Amino acid sequence: MIEVKDLSLQLGEFKIKDFSLTIDMGEFFVLLGPTGSGKTVLLESIAGLKAIQAGNIYINKKEVTGKKPEERNISICYQDLALFPHMRVKDNIKYGLRFRRDTNKLKYEKNFETLIELLRINHILDRYPIFLSGGEKQRVALARALIVDPDILLLDEPLTALDSGIKATIEAELKNLHETLKITILMVTHDFKEAYYLADRVGIIKDGSIMQMGPIEKVFEQPDSIFTANFVGMKNLIKIYELKDKPVFQVLLKHVGETGAEFIGIRPENIVISNKIIDDSCSFLGIISHIRNNGIYREIDIISHGVEFKAYLTANSYNELQLSQGKEVFFGIDASRIAVI
Amino acid sequence: MNRKRTESLFIVSFITGTIIMLFCIYPLISTLFWTEPGVIFDTFKDKQVLQSIYLSMGAATITTIVAFILGVPFAYVLARKEFRFKSLVESIVDIPIVIPHPVAGICLLTVISPRSWTGQLMEKAGIEVLGTVAAIVLAMTFVSMPFLINAAKEAFKWVPPRMENISRTLGASHTQTFFLITFSLAWRDILSGMILTWARAISEFGAVIILAYHPMIAPTVIYERFTAYGMMYAVPVAVILIILCLIMFIILRLLAASSREGEIL
Repeated sequence: MIEVKDLSLQLGEFKIKDFSLTIDMGEFFVLLGPTGSGKTVLLESIAGLKAIQAGNIYINKKEVTGKKPEERNISICYQDLALFPHMRVKDNIKYGLRFRRDTNKLKYEKNFETLIELLRINHILDRYPIFLSGGEKQRVALARALIVDPDILLLDEPLTALDSGIKATIEAELKNLHETLKITILMVTHDFKEAYYLADRVGIIKDGSIMQMGPIEKVFEQPDSIFTANFVGMKNLIKIYELKDKPVFQVLLKHVGETGAEFIGIRPENIVISNKIIDDSCSFLGIISHIRNNGIYREIDIISHGVEFKAYLTANSYNELQLSQGKEVFFGIDASRIAVI
Repeated sequence: MNRKRTESLFIVSFITGTIIMLFCIYPLISTLFWTEPGVIFDTFKDKQVLQSIYLSMGAATITTIVAFILGVPFAYVLARKEFRFKSLVESIVDIPIVIPHPVAGICLLTVISPRSWTGQLMEKAGIEVLGTVAAIVLAMTFVSMPFLINAAKEAFKWVPPRMENISRTLGASHTQTFFLITFSLAWRDILSGMILTWARAISEFGAVIILAYHPMIAPTVIYERFTAYGMMYAVPVAVILIILCLIMFIILRLLAASSREGEIL
């Protein structure tokens, strides 16, 4: 278990104040935030690579706040991988072993064998990093970080630099590694799709502060701020006062209740489109104002009584419905999944 | 149809490059052919000439070692740390490059002369510097150390700090990380800096002559023969020094190049 309590640090203009976080043993926690929100700085301060001004860090209930990075048993993997270019792959992976005080050679040899098998890198052990593809480099970096049995693995945007094809493979391998080895992982990223696939829990970070934290589905479905809602891809953020004077939308407001909220949030994938009337209390008639082709899916903008809604459709559904700009369609909203912000 | 096209800027570059090459090489070639090979051979047997060349090479080598020991750790700090007045410190490092070398010699003389408090202190401690090999090394180090510090600083900057971070989190101490990662990746460029330092040291004359006319380094012998006897006596020594320096320079460059090929980066 890792516990960060009231961590504060300042780097020039950038400030992190009273940051707290607890990650359970074996948990995959993702810190999600835009560039410049302090994600990397946080990881480096947890690893002991950046000095903190206040706060405490505990690993398995032992305080490591004042300890040097080499005394914390925390591994870190960066986006740019930082493989040692003057060492072969096997020497890169085994680099950390030469500093282990624990001389259980058999255990580490087994770690080595397990990792090269799990990450399928047996055939590249004698190569230098310059001769590896992006995916292979990522696998080697992961093996190097994990061979030493760290208490926690810190991942700094590990998938960002990869091509989309190999990214999915590495993502799956990362999930498999986590499930097989039961390692505790703290990953930072700006890509909410990565977080959705990998995380047990997420924290949304902005300017060095956690905006919202919780189980992945909860944060994605029920963001508690406009920033979080925008960041996790909640494309429909509608001001409640805009709906109040429109009788057709009263059914939506009934689900919101008198909470004093300002916005309702609807994920675009929670809106269904049909050419026929939808048998649901939360269905409306609208006109398609814009269609955006994103390759894999279509983003459909629908105007209904002056309010714009965005929905996603797969290419298949889009073709079946024969949609076009200006066409009148019915759309239904899953009321149970409306967020109130 | 020939589709090959040469940009006019490259033609200009080629012409200026040729001028520079001629400017560098022609005086050397002209010096080599100024005198008879027999005279050069006879000069090579001259004890004073040989001693001065040995002294020049020896002092330049000691200078390079001193610059390496003192300069590399300092260059690492300059490459990795930000601190107040850092640019001032970097400017101070470069001072010996910008001041005329006899002036550098005079500055050093004010420190080691028996009239200065430091000179008197050394005299009391029985340390004699003025007119000794130590003075030659002192002058050479003063003028050539910036080359090593700057080369090492750039070499260390080239090593991503994240590699050091990873090494630390994997269990290596700061010192272990320095030797296993940072220095291991930077040493080729540091070696190039050492070659430059050595070359700069062996060619030093202005500062050395102020601190130690005797024992004579090769440039002092050349200067003395030129002023006392003229070109005919100075050129053979100059030719020998040019040949030996070029041989040393080529060997060191080849060593650096072969080590670069030996490791794949």
